[in-house]
Amino acid sequence: MDLRSRGGWWPALCIGITGIILAVYILLVTSNWIYLGLHDTLYFFSKSRMWERFWLTVWTATVSMSFSLLIGIPAGYALSRFRFPCRYLFASIIDLPIVVSPAVVGAFLFGITTRFPFDWISEYYGIYIGRNVYGVLLVQFTVTAAFCARLMKASFDMIPTRFEAVSHSLGASPSRTFFKVVLPMAKNGIIASMIVVWARAAAEWEGLMLFVGATEGKTDIMPFAIYLDWNGGMMGWVTSMSIVCILMAISAISAMKIIGGKSNVW
Amino acid sequence: MSGERHSRKIFNAFFYSFAGFLFLYSAYLFLSNLDQLFVTEAAVKTREITNWGEDREILNQFAGGFWKDPYFWKSLNLTLVITLITTLIATLLGIPTAYALSRYRIPGKSMVEIFFSSLMVMPGSVIGICLIVMFNYGPLWDLQNLLGFKFAHSIFPGMVIASLVLSFAFGMSAWKATFDSVNPRFEQVARSLGSNRWRAFKTITFPLAKSGIVTGIILAWTRAMAEFSAVLFFCGTFRELPASRFSDFTKFLQMDQADWVSVAVWAQVEFGNIEYGFALAFVLVFIGGISVYVMHRIGAKGYVW
Repeated sequence: MDLRSRGGWWPALCIGITGIILAVYILLVTSNWIYLGLHDTLYFFSKSRMWERFWLTVWTATVSMSFSLLIGIPAGYALSRFRFPCRYLFASIIDLPIVVSPAVVGAFLFGITTRFPFDWISEYYGIYIGRNVYGVLLVQFTVTAAFCARLMKASFDMIPTRFEAVSHSLGASPSRTFFKVVLPMAKNGIIASMIVVWARAAAEWEGLMLFVGATEGKTDIMPFAIYLDWNGGMMGWVTSMSIVCILMAISAISAMKIIGGKSNVW
Repeated sequence: MSGERHSRKIFNAFFYSFAGFLFLYSAYLFLSNLDQLFVTEAAVKTREITNWGEDREILNQFAGGFWKDPYFWKSLNLTLVITLITTLIATLLGIPTAYALSRYRIPGKSMVEIFFSSLMVMPGSVIGICLIVMFNYGPLWDLQNLLGFKFAHSIFPGMVIASLVLSFAFGMSAWKATFDSVNPRFEQVARSLGSNRWRAFKTITFPLAKSGIVTGIILAWTRAMAEFSAVLFFCGTFRELPASRFSDFTKFLQMDQADWVSVAVWAQVEFGNIEYGFALAFVLVFIGGISVYVMHRIGAKGYVW
């Protein structure tokens, strides 16, 4: 045994730990399939109750993703480019809804919707935001807006400010620079972040527990329906719906990796 | 010239307004609920109607009198100790894993990356259900029967497992990004000069990656603190369980009849103890705010979920 092979235990340890952890995680994710079996999985997948919930999840996540993007892209650009005093404190407060547990955010939303802008909206426009699908959208928006701003900040950070400086020196206005230089360069990052934000919105359910509650067919988006059916003891529905959620998450992240090859946010 | 400055000002104001909207929304969301801590007459009346098994007069004080309640201190103790254990395990297992995924040739590495990234957008309820199905059915259930103790609905293996799943995934991705950013060339030079693989890692890569490793530790701890669904599904609540259900060790550590803090927020608000629940929620917001501020200060980039 010569000197150079003496530290060989280190790569062996690394690869061994990786293998064990991968085995545990893959067992964790596939345990639903193993438990349910192929025949029962196909039975639950053929039920319309499953697909109604699936489409509810898809459309609510899409709507809240659009609102988050509208706010998140400019906010992410501002956080990425502008320097102002106390910006770390400012950014930390923006990040608060995503760092604390979403159940806590649900409790706070439960308190806020009886207050100023929300009571006004329900009185003058008749849109009640609470125990209906608008509540679902508000929860998803609250959690994903800050998340989206973070992702956008990361993708704008990857673009050197040099290009903007060149564009300014050639006489372009700031808005022209933004639309003609910055946005096209950030396009891949924005699409990748969009997919992640969509998947995060579709995964949100903790806030719904305190704030929205359950209405069959109206507010039970898929992750929340898992909780409800688990309380109802319907293990077949629970496991088949978790299979759908796992497939949604994995396909969204695969699409993100394929599109935004360079997006190293994760 | 002045027109150009004017357009720059409008441009900046436009972008600032969106960031400002997010800031105000978040600040309003948290600060406007401070009045939930004050007990109203209606809350006292409702609480009289509810039949409490024990003396809960303490709940009619400001913020549910949470600082006088041993349940609060026990829960905080429980959560902090379990998250610290989780972070320690995640660090010990995560750094070798991240190093292996970053440096060595592993078949299907891109699939592994997609898999670990997808854990971050997987619903917490799915993680909880997967844990329940994995441990409470099949061979692992038989193994637990053989060993004579249960993983689910227990503090010591159960809560650590439930908070470890996502904490590990987040920390690991941060450490992997850190090791990716360290040039492997330095290590190759050290190896060519005769140091072995472990020494090359210990003296070259580890010191270069130190700040990123610290960031990953803070991230893993914050994610463990933010855990809710996996703990709710896999462990549930412990408050109403009889004292005989807890071992002497948990009693010694002051962890008996206590809950995970975010689960306690949910349980208290559901019971109607709004003031108490919001007091716990503000404690969590305070802890989360400090950790995210530290993360911003030391320059953690895009690693918040």
